[in-house]
Amino acid sequence: MSGDRIRGAFAGLAVGDAAGWPAARHRAALHAPWSRRLHRELDAFAEEHRVTTLPVPFALNQPVAPLRVGPSDDAEWLAWTALTIDRPRAEAFRELIAGREEGAAAPVRARISVATALDNLAKGVEPPASGHDNPHHFDDAAAVRAVAFGVLGRDPAPDAQVTNAGDGVLGALAMAAAVAEAVASGDVRRAVEAALAVLPEGTAIGHNARLAVATARAAGDPFGAVPALDAALLDHVYSYGVGAAQTVPVALALAEAAGGELARAVPAAACLAPLADSAPALTGALAGACGGYEAIPEGWTASARTLTGCCLPELAGRDLIELTEGIA
Amino acid sequence: MTASRNELRDRARGSLLGLAAGDALGAPAENLTPAEIRRRWGRLTEIEGGGTDDTEYAIFAASLLVRHGHGLTAADVAAAYREEIIPRVTGPMRGAGFSELGTVEALRRGLRPPLTGLVHSHGWSDGLAMRAAPYGVFCPGDPAEAARLIEQDGLVSGSGEGILGGRAVAGAVAAAMGGAAPREVVAAALSVVPADSWTARNIVRARDVLGRVPGTGEAGLVEAGLVEALHEAVVVAHYPWTDVAPEAVALALAAFLAGDGDVEASVTFGVSLGRDADTIGAIAGAVAGASRGEGGVPERWAARITPVTGKCLPVVAGRHVLDVADELAEGL
Repeated sequence: MSGDRIRGAFAGLAVGDAAGWPAARHRAALHAPWSRRLHRELDAFAEEHRVTTLPVPFALNQPVAPLRVGPSDDAEWLAWTALTIDRPRAEAFRELIAGREEGAAAPVRARISVATALDNLAKGVEPPASGHDNPHHFDDAAAVRAVAFGVLGRDPAPDAQVTNAGDGVLGALAMAAAVAEAVASGDVRRAVEAALAVLPEGTAIGHNARLAVATARAAGDPFGAVPALDAALLDHVYSYGVGAAQTVPVALALAEAAGGELARAVPAAACLAPLADSAPALTGALAGACGGYEAIPEGWTASARTLTGCCLPELAGRDLIELTEGIA
Repeated sequence: MTASRNELRDRARGSLLGLAAGDALGAPAENLTPAEIRRRWGRLTEIEGGGTDDTEYAIFAASLLVRHGHGLTAADVAAAYREEIIPRVTGPMRGAGFSELGTVEALRRGLRPPLTGLVHSHGWSDGLAMRAAPYGVFCPGDPAEAARLIEQDGLVSGSGEGILGGRAVAGAVAAAMGGAAPREVVAAALSVVPADSWTARNIVRARDVLGRVPGTGEAGLVEAGLVEALHEAVVVAHYPWTDVAPEAVALALAAFLAGDGDVEASVTFGVSLGRDADTIGAIAGAVAGASRGEGGVPERWAARITPVTGKCLPVVAGRHVLDVADELAEGL
């Protein structure tokens, strides 16, 4: 049974990743650069002409496959973590530096925390400073990778500290704890309690996690909790929505409110538009670990399991679920 | 206190005047690359318009010190935000950085410090460092006390490295108020932040660059090389916002060292670095102004500093930094 739940955690993350609107924008990286430039120009056109017809990722003269429903950055980083998990973390990350160089044959795309950490490693700044001397030390890049550590019951901290610090590392500890408990018991309440147990109350993520869980419990239903979570948790001040102190609490709260049912939790997470890049993925990982792979709608697993290499080109064509074979 | 009252008053006036001048000088260069700044101005030496949030928030911070003195607490600062800032934010919060608006949102949700500074993503903003000068002015020769006091302000709107950036600048100004030489001033900044911090590492990196790369001199080419080396040492390459305290504080203290404490040399070099140029200029100006006193600030700059308009913080409209400096000096 726990093999099914390990597969569920991986597939659930990919399904949530695919369900959020930013997935198509990440996947559009597979198109020629000029097509994304046209997208930016259409955005400016809408503003200039005061038209409310907003551009969506489109394929002019380019393959349409990348724009179908499918996984993007989070699923690829989870796969990369699973493939490198037995190696010293800084060493594994260091191999990505070449892909960040101008004109790299296989260009690597990464969150600001990871991009800065790779710059730090290239300059000889080692962990934990590589994750700490970092403007996005608080983001959820490590929380996504922590799903791989959670299914194995391993400590995600050495990995998290390469790219993150503070709430970013706590988010990874919380996700790993929740996923480990979900894989062991399938009980979402216990999984959420396991996450809360590693989040100190005096931190932003600890405060927000308790607030989010209470907010969703009061709403009684994941979709019904969306406006209340927006009001209680989202600040709408900052230009990016991948803060672990927002996305991890939302994942815990919605997975619990859905009773661990992925098909109820993920759509609600995808409705919190500012957090839709990663909150649905984290929610999907947790709910998928609770309910197992077989409980995820087949159409979604079929669409979400094959990676495209939009962020980590070497992973193009890899099957995420096959990566769990040695583990599950 | 060994320094005479008149000397402290002069340094206080120099510090806040230097802050206002650096803020105003740097404002048009904010977010420009050093190359673009050189293309437009060569060296930017003349103030074109008014100052920004740096000056107005510093005046607000000084008013907190005048009211509460060394007993200032984070709760006092939060109360001042609730009573004097938030009621006047009826539409856009003009001139506010992410950390200030994030703090206002947190206070509106009923949170108290330190959570007000922790729950938004810009805890490391240089918003505290930009307004740190009054804390240093208020604690001449006592960097540790200046750092302790500014932390009370920082706990409301910042966290982590943002608070450390404020501590470093407050400590530097306090040392300069006590007559320390430039290298001692930077050592004082380092003495009030943990060695194992981004702020300390960046200050050391910037200081090392100055020891390694030829000084400013007259030759533009030599200077361009120094600017590039400083960017390479402390600027975050893949982040679009420039108000990162460990970066701005290190660049400002490097400018102060490069100018050897001279106000005009320090501030104009600081502004030539681009990035958060108004804040870099304001910090370099505040530290150098405390070192050299009011007479160290070029007269043509001082003549451009008028009472603030309150465009960022309506509560301080009409205040002049020199009057604020005198009020602070009264308490010494």
